[in-house]
Amino acid sequence: MKNKIIAFFLGLLILSFAACKKDVAQDQYEVNPVKLYPSIGAKNKNKTQEQYVSILYTNLFQRALSGNQLVEIIDCLESIGDKELGREVLISNFMNDPQVVLPSDSVMRANPDVFTEQTYERFFVRKPSEAEKTWFRNFIEANPQLSAEMIYFAFALSNEYLYY
Amino acid sequence: MNRRKFIRNAGIAGAGAFAVPYILPSGRLFAATGRQLAGHVVYVLFAGGVRQQESILQRYLDDSQGFPWAGNIMYNMFNGPSPENKIVYGTNQGNGVEGGTPIPQILSQTLETQGTVFREVQAQSAGHFGGLNNLLQGSQVTTQGLKQKPINPTIFEYLRRHGGFPASKVWFVGNGIGNGLPLLNYSNHPNYGSQYGANFFAPSITFGNLGFEHLSNAKVYHPENELDPMYQMKYFLDQSFANVGKGGDSLGNTEDEKQDIKSFMRSTYDRVTQNAIPFPTITENNDALNIGFACEIMRWFKPAITVVNLSSVDGCHADFTGYLRALHRADHAVGHLWNYIQTQIPEMAGDTVLIASPECGRNLNHNPIKDVNDWYAYDHSDNNASRVFTVMAGPGVPQNLSIGNEANPVGFTSDNVPTIGEILGVKDEIMGAGFLQPESVSLFDRI
Repeated sequence: MKNKIIAFFLGLLILSFAACKKDVAQDQYEVNPVKLYPSIGAKNKNKTQEQYVSILYTNLFQRALSGNQLVEIIDCLESIGDKELGREVLISNFMNDPQVVLPSDSVMRANPDVFTEQTYERFFVRKPSEAEKTWFRNFIEANPQLSAEMIYFAFALSNEYLYY
Repeated sequence: MNRRKFIRNAGIAGAGAFAVPYILPSGRLFAATGRQLAGHVVYVLFAGGVRQQESILQRYLDDSQGFPWAGNIMYNMFNGPSPENKIVYGTNQGNGVEGGTPIPQILSQTLETQGTVFREVQAQSAGHFGGLNNLLQGSQVTTQGLKQKPINPTIFEYLRRHGGFPASKVWFVGNGIGNGLPLLNYSNHPNYGSQYGANFFAPSITFGNLGFEHLSNAKVYHPENELDPMYQMKYFLDQSFANVGKGGDSLGNTEDEKQDIKSFMRSTYDRVTQNAIPFPTITENNDALNIGFACEIMRWFKPAITVVNLSSVDGCHADFTGYLRALHRADHAVGHLWNYIQTQIPEMAGDTVLIASPECGRNLNHNPIKDVNDWYAYDHSDNNASRVFTVMAGPGVPQNLSIGNEANPVGFTSDNVPTIGEILGVKDEIMGAGFLQPESVSLFDRI
């Protein structure tokens, strides 16, 4: 009987703690899923320089660029007349940063089709056509010195990457 | 086909082959018809709103602050004795007086002695952006907005389209990225535009702290093993996208030219680190730094045209003493520029014409702001702000010639565009294009 009373009060105590627990709604920030473009023709707007730089940074470093850095980089691009050359220099700088996140060349060569598909999704937010997949498969196989970095560079510098 | 028909067709084909003109890489059909007076032009946009009274009229404080002290503080450009009293425009070295030591003259002969001075020229805008547009377009378009690319073609586009100059031979060196300066390297005109534009750097950014942080660590890719396949992939991707959109506006730098510009950037970062940029002796303001980088660009590319913008004198809105100092330094910087070309760039020495004009003047009457010396400041909005000068020197320019005076203005700032056209052999094409201010002619036609 005594044990039952102790168990009852113990249970009551546990329940009271449970009842006292403040029910705080946790704000969770997540990334909205992005729908892939159905086709290449669905892109009809030019990215602003700010959009281009912040998306490029996120694509290459897998994290967001700070506001200050964004402003500084835009100033740098403004200071160069040939914008494509400016972008090329900027990408080359990013590629020289040890924190850039790139797939390994062995992963790329293990399955060029999957690598191509993932690269198109990452940079162009769409799936490659069969023709595009085939072209890249052939190009990767025909160029043993080709690296994932070089492919990322080409995508980042492409005209399609300037659009959304 | 019978023999007669064969001969007729062969004749037509042969005639066609002779008649179809050779298309230059620039897209123009024929080589420039005009004779070049020189191989290079350096065009100084001088220097942010300059009052005639303190510059070419050499009145120092006599026509601004009510003190009877006149004199020439621009003795690399103009002949005339320096002020004898109240020296504030120099450096602090030497006598311990703030600004009390004038910067030594660089040129043994002034630009006035070496060339021709138009003493009283009409600027067609009293504002900076309008004035710069006028100096570069040779016209004053009333619908030209701020923060808008030039509406009419710029001198860069005339030279590239009609003269066939490649992009890397046409440079605009801006002293910053404010006030719409990066917009001025080409126009929005449908017959001209970016493919005929000038390469542009704002060196205080590109090669300053920001550039060092974000641009100087560029990976150097092997041209054949790495860059070639990278460009092949890019071209494939661009081809796929060609029906949807095109890349941003391109200046038409070839791949070789882009490599050359990237090499220049790498070299310049190294030379900045080694303190090897050929700056003027006194580098206290952005104008002087800009001239140093302009020298570096000329040393590397030997451009057909180099346009350099200066603007430190615009501090005159609130600081007259600072304005005098900036004016003195702008003269020092131009002297250094001319001296550097003649002594350090053999390919340009003796084959370069220098032209310098302010984009606008400054007001006759001061505003209420006083500086540390209790001197009044000047804005730019009245008729006096449309009074400027033009100096030019180099091959084909008459020496020791002075044209016009306060009572007899000669020339317009828009004249500079056909003048450069004449020097570089495309005057007729520029005049014929029909976009210049109607009264504009080459300054050589006003001599």
